[in-house]
Amino acid sequence: QDLAKKNTANRQVVEQRRRLLEEWQAWREQMREMLAEEGYEEPVDADGVAGADGDVEEVE
Amino acid sequence: MRPILLSGHERALTQVKYNSDGDIIFSVSKDHVVCAWFSHNGERLGTYHGHQGALWTVDVDPTSTLLATGGADNTMRLWEVKTGKLLKTWDFATSIKRVEFSPDGRQLLGVTEKRSGHLSTIVIYEIEPDVDAEQTNEQSLRIVCDESKATVAGFSYLSKFIIAGHEDGTVSQYDAKTGELLLNITVHEDDMQVTDLQWSPDRTYFITASKDKTAKLISTNDLEVLKSYSTDTPLNSAAITPVKDYVILGGGQAAMDVTTTSARQGKFEARFYHKIFMEEIGRVRGHFGPLNYVAVHPKGTGYCSGGEDGYVRVHHFDKPYFDFMYEVEREQANL
Repeated sequence: QDLAKKNTANRQVVEQRRRLLEEWQAWREQMREMLAEEGYEEPVDADGVAGADGDVEEVE
Repeated sequence: MRPILLSGHERALTQVKYNSDGDIIFSVSKDHVVCAWFSHNGERLGTYHGHQGALWTVDVDPTSTLLATGGADNTMRLWEVKTGKLLKTWDFATSIKRVEFSPDGRQLLGVTEKRSGHLSTIVIYEIEPDVDAEQTNEQSLRIVCDESKATVAGFSYLSKFIIAGHEDGTVSQYDAKTGELLLNITVHEDDMQVTDLQWSPDRTYFITASKDKTAKLISTNDLEVLKSYSTDTPLNSAAITPVKDYVILGGGQAAMDVTTTSARQGKFEARFYHKIFMEEIGRVRGHFGPLNYVAVHPKGTGYCSGGEDGYVRVHHFDKPYFDFMYEVEREQANL
């Protein structure tokens, strides 16, 4: 029974994190769209790599 | 990799900054001298002499051509990075607590201290990004902070807003063209000073540190508190790491403020929190006094901290730092 309780608690933590991550990614997407509308171009550094916010999309 | 210790300052560090390539670190201290260092090996590449008092703040323009400083001698100064030549001195009635270039380097902002008869202000100058050009004496904008003095300030994305943190724990949003106050929100505990404000790479959000022992992640457009990080010590600085979703917090109780010895133990650490999950994930010790500033390498490969102990510690992140992932992050990455 204790084990079952622990598993439920763990599952809740994981689900909470999943929710936070999805929320964050949705907000970041919203901000990227807002910046595009404002005419913002992501600064390109010397190596030609656009911004480094950890959510840079792969360019094919 | 072992941290690199930059010893060259004789007094407490007040701010440290990477240039946009991350190869140079600039540091300022209460000892009146500005230092430039190579970030990869800690070799000192130069000093900038001229200030007559403690230095509070430093910033470098996006092309690493111009350096701005401010301090207790009531001046804000502009320097040529390469030669150390002093290009311009702006005089004020009170000390300069913060300087920051706009994202395009064409504007420079200064935060002036409050003192009897002088309200705190945020001043802006248009900058000629040329070392041979004559720099203007005219402020293009002057914002008077009559409610609560500004302690930190900077430019948002596209220099649309000026965001300031205040002594009373609030954060303000001003129109960067007109100086009009658009928003003022209490984000930290009442009368708990905002001690630092650092931007995300695209400046759509920023992080504030406060004496209330918390750091907050705040959206630029509406000053909504997105995330909150709670610690057990007053914070002097907070930075957002690119590449990984972490934040780094620095602070600590100064010895003179500590009444019990137990409270002194283990407070001088850089604390890493997960930016999105708000959980503490690690600490880095080393300083013998409070961390006055933490700065992150613009490519996210390391960070440095400036301490009350007079040292700058430069850390290069190891592989485990980049490999660490929460289960839900791994799920997402594998999608």
